[in-house]
Amino acid sequence: MLEIKGLHASINGKEILKGIDISVNAGEVHAIMGPNGSGKSTLSAVLAGRDTFEVTQGEITFRGSNLLELSPEDRARNGIFLGFQYPVEIPGVTNVNFMKTAINEQRKFRNLPPISAAEFLKLMREKMAVVEMDSSFSSRGVNVGFSGGEKKRNEIFQLAMLEPVLSILDETDSGLDIDALRVVAAGVNKLKRPDNAFIVITHYQRLLDYIIPDVVHVLYDGKIIKRAGKELALEVEERGYDWLINA
Amino acid sequence: MTESKFKYTPEIPEVFRCRVPLPQTIQAFVTNGILRESIHPGEGISISASKGERGFNYLVNDECHLSENVQIISFRDSSNTDDLTFTNNLVFGNNTESNILLCTHTLTLDSFKTDEDIKIKVGSGARVNIVVMQNEHNNSEHTVNFDLNIESDAFIRINVVTLHGAMLINDFNVKLAGKGSVCELNGVYLVDGKQTIKTNVQMNHLVPGCVSRQLFKGILDDESRATFTGRIIVAKDAQKTEAYQANHNLLISPSAKAYAQPQLEIYADDVKCSHGATSGRLDENALFYMRSRGIGRQEAKLLQQLAFVYDVLENINNEQLRLRLSDLVESRLRGEFGHCTNCSMNCC
Repeated sequence: MLEIKGLHASINGKEILKGIDISVNAGEVHAIMGPNGSGKSTLSAVLAGRDTFEVTQGEITFRGSNLLELSPEDRARNGIFLGFQYPVEIPGVTNVNFMKTAINEQRKFRNLPPISAAEFLKLMREKMAVVEMDSSFSSRGVNVGFSGGEKKRNEIFQLAMLEPVLSILDETDSGLDIDALRVVAAGVNKLKRPDNAFIVITHYQRLLDYIIPDVVHVLYDGKIIKRAGKELALEVEERGYDWLINA
Repeated sequence: MTESKFKYTPEIPEVFRCRVPLPQTIQAFVTNGILRESIHPGEGISISASKGERGFNYLVNDECHLSENVQIISFRDSSNTDDLTFTNNLVFGNNTESNILLCTHTLTLDSFKTDEDIKIKVGSGARVNIVVMQNEHNNSEHTVNFDLNIESDAFIRINVVTLHGAMLINDFNVKLAGKGSVCELNGVYLVDGKQTIKTNVQMNHLVPGCVSRQLFKGILDDESRATFTGRIIVAKDAQKTEAYQANHNLLISPSAKAYAQPQLEIYADDVKCSHGATSGRLDENALFYMRSRGIGRQEAKLLQQLAFVYDVLENINNEQLRLRLSDLVESRLRGEFGHCTNCSMNCC
């Protein structure tokens, strides 16, 4: 599904990613761990098409086509979703309006007519239940006045609404208490299917108790320094990153 | 009032089926400053021509209420392209309640110059909501001088929605003359091309215990200009005054310019006053967030612009009217602003 080969990326001339290779297949969950400043968020931003980063070398193929040629919106329309570490507040745009616009823009891309009001409401209700979100959220401004946990729930809610092929969750667990973490993880598990995939970026092993990864990558200084099965996460939790960095 | 001037107007209501008003709306038409016909929308309420040739008087006698909305459609057309100056008087008696929608249009591309005084007297305990919609051609220069005198415990809110026009100047001179009176002035302006909008406010707190709130927001594209000069003057005796003022501009194009001059003159010592002015660009983080959900860049920009003016439009208390004006704002921002649906006039 996703092939990242020899990816180098920099911001303002400073190289952050220094040769990354990752291959994700349908049905898989990949975890990317690593200390602060290792390049985790940069990798997710590059995948989603943030233009503040410049890809200097390497390639990214998503379902057979060159991802780097696509605008952020076209990446989303082709099935990529980024769950933001810091979801953006957009005062004045309600969640309903935001989601309706997003869904209809994606439907337009697939030559489908706009979603009917009834169908949309049904979908909203159904997907809000996935993350146990209160219905009052739908009429509020996107992320405005939401607590940290509510913002992350809203990310998973949007994921549920848009049904992406590849979801990248950038530190979705940061700022979550244990209950919110459980809800978010349960939501992801409900949405997991044989034909989609997840990349979960996290500092801590905690989230991986709930979302079991198939592959764990440890990112440090812009490179993957270790790759193994889910047991690697536990090892990192126990021993920290130093033994890998100094290896 | 000559025959020829009057001839054209009777057709107007037929063709002017604008989508802004609400079902229960009483309409009055003013062509080049001349009121088409006197109207008595309700008991003790009248709209009649001024003694001079142009301008109208809107009179609401004490204690009178009108549940219907009144829409006054004032436009310039090619039957008179002279520079015009006229005065309208709006007198709201004590303890009255009024909702008025005031629309100004130009029907042709002539170079109109209009200088209009709107003198508003708000009697004690009256509640007045006025929505002003300005939608004029690229050659129209229109100055509106709002002169307000507000008596004790009265409330007036004016929401101005400026959609189009070459040079539109809105001057407000407000006197909070009676204790406990409240004045809210809100404005949304959308300018592009070489359009200019000027807003000048002088808010005079003359007596104690009055409240004023001003919120003006604009979106500027291309080489458009917006200026905002707002002065709040709190007299020495006007203790317990609350006066707030904000002007925010969103600049879409690097050649657009916004000028803001907020001023406070406070002679009393027990007051709450604030003013703020900002100019900003679209928020790239929010744009990226929306694009990452599949919303195209243009659509994302539009959503952000709508969101920017949302809190001003929110002040229009009549929901149906608010939705209709929001639709107009949206189609204006989308660049689809040929004419309003249901209307065969090509206003802009």
